[in-house]
Amino acid sequence: MAAGAESLSFLGLTPSARDPATAVRRRNRGPRNRKKGWKRWAGPEARLGREIGDFLEDVTLQQRVAGGLIAEQPDAGLFFVDTGSAEKGERRKRKNKIREKPLHIDLVLRPDSKVPAPKDILSHQIPNGRKERRRQQFWERMAQRGVLPRSERRLQTRLQNPAPPREKPPEKGRLDPGRSFYDIWADDNPLERALVGQDAWFLQQTQKQRVKRPLRLQQKPSQLPAVEVIAPGGSYNPTFEDHQVCGGDKVERQLRFPTAAEAPTAETVFREQCEGLLEESGDEEEEEEEKEEEEKKEEAVGGAQPSDPPRLLHRPGKKTEQQRRKEKEARELQRRRLKALRCRQQQLFRLRSLGRQLRRWEQELLRRRRAREAKRREMEGRPRRLGRIKYEDPALEVQLSDELPEGSVLHDRFKSLQKRSLIEPRERAKFKRKYRLKYVEKRAFREVT
Amino acid sequence: MGGLEKKKYQRGSATNYITRNKARKKLQLSLPDFRRLCILKGIYPHEPKHKKKVNKGSTAARTFYLLKDIKFLLHEPIVNKFREYKIFVRKLRKAYGKSEWGTAERLKDNKPTYKLDHIVKERYPTFVDALRDLDDALSMCFLFSTFPRTGKCHVQTIQLCRRLAVEFLNYVIASRSLRKVFLSIKGIYYQAEVLGQPITWITPYAFAHDHPTDVDYRVMATFTEFYTTLLGFVNFRLYHSLNLHYPPKIDGQAEVELKPAEGKEYAMDSESYLEKLSALSASLARVVAPTQEDDVEMDEFPVEGETAEQMDARRKEQEALEKHKKLFEGLRFFLNREVPREPLAFIIRCFGGQVSWDKSLCIGATYDVSDPSITHQIVDRPQVEQQVVGRYYLQPQWVFDSVNAKLCLPVADYFPGVLLPPHLSPFVTEQEGDYIPPEKLKLLAMQRGEDPGEESEEEEEEEEEEDDNDKEEEEEEEDESEKEEEMKLKKMEEQKTQSNKALPVKVTAGKVRLEDKQRLEQEQQSEEKRLAIMMMKKREKYLYKKIMFGKKRKIREANKLAAKRKAHDTAMKEEKKKTKKARHA
Repeated sequence: MAAGAESLSFLGLTPSARDPATAVRRRNRGPRNRKKGWKRWAGPEARLGREIGDFLEDVTLQQRVAGGLIAEQPDAGLFFVDTGSAEKGERRKRKNKIREKPLHIDLVLRPDSKVPAPKDILSHQIPNGRKERRRQQFWERMAQRGVLPRSERRLQTRLQNPAPPREKPPEKGRLDPGRSFYDIWADDNPLERALVGQDAWFLQQTQKQRVKRPLRLQQKPSQLPAVEVIAPGGSYNPTFEDHQVCGGDKVERQLRFPTAAEAPTAETVFREQCEGLLEESGDEEEEEEEKEEEEKKEEAVGGAQPSDPPRLLHRPGKKTEQQRRKEKEARELQRRRLKALRCRQQQLFRLRSLGRQLRRWEQELLRRRRAREAKRREMEGRPRRLGRIKYEDPALEVQLSDELPEGSVLHDRFKSLQKRSLIEPRERAKFKRKYRLKYVEKRAFREVT
Repeated sequence: MGGLEKKKYQRGSATNYITRNKARKKLQLSLPDFRRLCILKGIYPHEPKHKKKVNKGSTAARTFYLLKDIKFLLHEPIVNKFREYKIFVRKLRKAYGKSEWGTAERLKDNKPTYKLDHIVKERYPTFVDALRDLDDALSMCFLFSTFPRTGKCHVQTIQLCRRLAVEFLNYVIASRSLRKVFLSIKGIYYQAEVLGQPITWITPYAFAHDHPTDVDYRVMATFTEFYTTLLGFVNFRLYHSLNLHYPPKIDGQAEVELKPAEGKEYAMDSESYLEKLSALSASLARVVAPTQEDDVEMDEFPVEGETAEQMDARRKEQEALEKHKKLFEGLRFFLNREVPREPLAFIIRCFGGQVSWDKSLCIGATYDVSDPSITHQIVDRPQVEQQVVGRYYLQPQWVFDSVNAKLCLPVADYFPGVLLPPHLSPFVTEQEGDYIPPEKLKLLAMQRGEDPGEESEEEEEEEEEEDDNDKEEEEEEEDESEKEEEMKLKKMEEQKTQSNKALPVKVTAGKVRLEDKQRLEQEQQSEEKRLAIMMMKKREKYLYKKIMFGKKRKIREANKLAAKRKAHDTAMKEEKKKTKKARHA
């Protein structure tokens, strides 16, 4: 009733009734998935309307129940002095009496005989007690003489010579630091001893023999040496020159700026652009020559060509079958004639050029083959692209001044494996959270800080 | 045109490859297990020629395996072990979750394990195959044996690696097969010749590791797992090839010698044996005691198609090798406590020297500092107090350089506190036309048996100038283009005339004619060459020009380096002079 005491002007009757001043905290209900819903329930007017509504509702309720506002009623109209009544107390006592009477179910379960039951002696007796006692005494006597019962004797023997630890010691596997080795390349090595002398077909069919390793797997993906020795500049105490060659001018290398000498000048750029063109132009000249030759030949051919067959007059109707046949025959004849002629001319005139063409074609093939091989050879030394990430050479390692030797063998080995395409270059897996973390200060701390 | 339409990606390269994820699903393994299996079995991803075809039209970068490889993997018994292990982990987790300790114990006792022996045999059908692939195995084992025993990998792995590495070192000592050493900034490179196969490996320095974060330790551990098995079998075979006991036993005689140094303070009984082995100071016991007449001369059979000259060269090489093997024979070394003990002890013992160290430094010391028979004491301090007469005090680099030079280098350059000569890489073989640093030239001369002599500091400058002259001459020799030859001739003439001018004028007898003849000959040769070049076809000429350009570029680079060196040297010299003056003043 703290809220009520504070605002004396209004006293709520129902527990849900509140002072309109404190109604701010009321939860807004209603669909909030649309803009309309938001609009309806938000804003000061809406709040005020709600408050007034609540107030009026409460006032009507108070008038209905108490015949006017409760705040305006005199105390006598609202309260009375409770002095209690004798009748009420008596009733309560009677109720207690009823409680004292046991339940019927308990009455049923009660023993109804007045004669007590005989005591169960057997439950307090040990069966064969006398016998046992005598046996115990006997064994005590025997123990004094040094004779023990059999079970005791067995326990003693087990204690004195324990069983061998285990029939088969647990296999320690490949990482046991004390494991033993044997001659695996000898003829009678333990690996294959069991299979020696058995029928190969039988072994294969019963899957006792291992599948043979394909020969293709004996080749390594890269011909690079396993341990590439660092350049002489990588010596811990290098000569001046080696240090220079290896990148004593380390800064320059790391930034990957081309040196001033390497930088393209206008002249080199021009030359580079011209390089292809010049060669091509030479080719073009040759081609032109060829064309000229061909033209000459064509002229010669044209001179020898027979006149075209007489053209038929165009008729709107369909051609007859005969006409078609004749035309076709004529075309065929001409074609054959032309072909024969061409053949003869080829034999006569084009012999040299044919030879030349052939040679040129062969040369072209050879060139292509060489280029292909060169490319293959070039690619051979290069690490393969095995995944999302490309292999990148590690930064050159050069000792600067007198610091301790740098560069890690572990890193070198790992990079070497990647360079030889034995493993694919990978990025370290990143930890990624699906949701963002929310930081909340504990209530106990919030007040302190 | 009848027939069914051919469906895309159902034949050809699309069916020859399989993506990693599909392969993984086919094998029913998790990705880490699949990776392990591939590494152990030596199956590596492939890059298909036409990615788009293989990838069913997509150009996304994926990892592909050959389908046949994966089918081969399906037969591997280890795959089942992997699955069993997965189940074992599940059961164990459950038992722990229910607090059933007895069940957990029982499960742990029956932990599924596997061995890689059969894979070693499968991947390396012969011993030589295994030897050829030993570089990786050794490097990995040496690397892992230096790891600290923290959570980065199993302690057992580290122990096994250490044991195998020490065994291999002992074999190299016993067989005297070490050839080259190179101290680099990364680690120490060694090269040994084992049964005719050159084997190179790298060992890290014994500094504290800073574990790089971009290395996948799981992958590395898997490689090591396989390589330890391989190295174990190889060690066994190598030891038996020398009639040595395997697991190695320290020679009885040596053991007696070791007794006084042995102390409980070094290691527990269970570990002391390995520690003693890893001290590398004792020789190993043989199965059959070596007879004294061990070095019987081998009969020589001439190989077909080999001339007498080649035979001679071969014999010379053999002799040189024998000499190299006995480089430190008869020398007694003592290692001060500040020098890296293990590499030095290993190298010295590899070439027949005797080595010891302070008793408190490591187990296995055989003699004391005060031993008068010590010939060399390796020191890495600027000054040594209390020098004993009769022994050289040297910096450790002397040992490494001597091994690489195949002769005991003059000791003067390596006294304590002296600025050391550079440590050259023995793995570099200079081709013709390459730049050779003057230090290397000096070394080569020494190997040939010429004595460059020990110069005092006054002579040094003159000597260096001479060096420079030498260099120039050499460079000129290397030049091959005719123009430069002509230039050279001109220069020679000029030099002559100059010298004539400088000298008091004299009439000399005419040797000129003889020289003229030579010159004429040369000129004629160069003329012929020029003509030959002129007669070349276009394409050949292009090639020729390219080759010549490459050569010239090389020479140019060499010249540039030489010039740089000269500048550097002069700068150094001036500095030296300054400091000297300062010291005098």
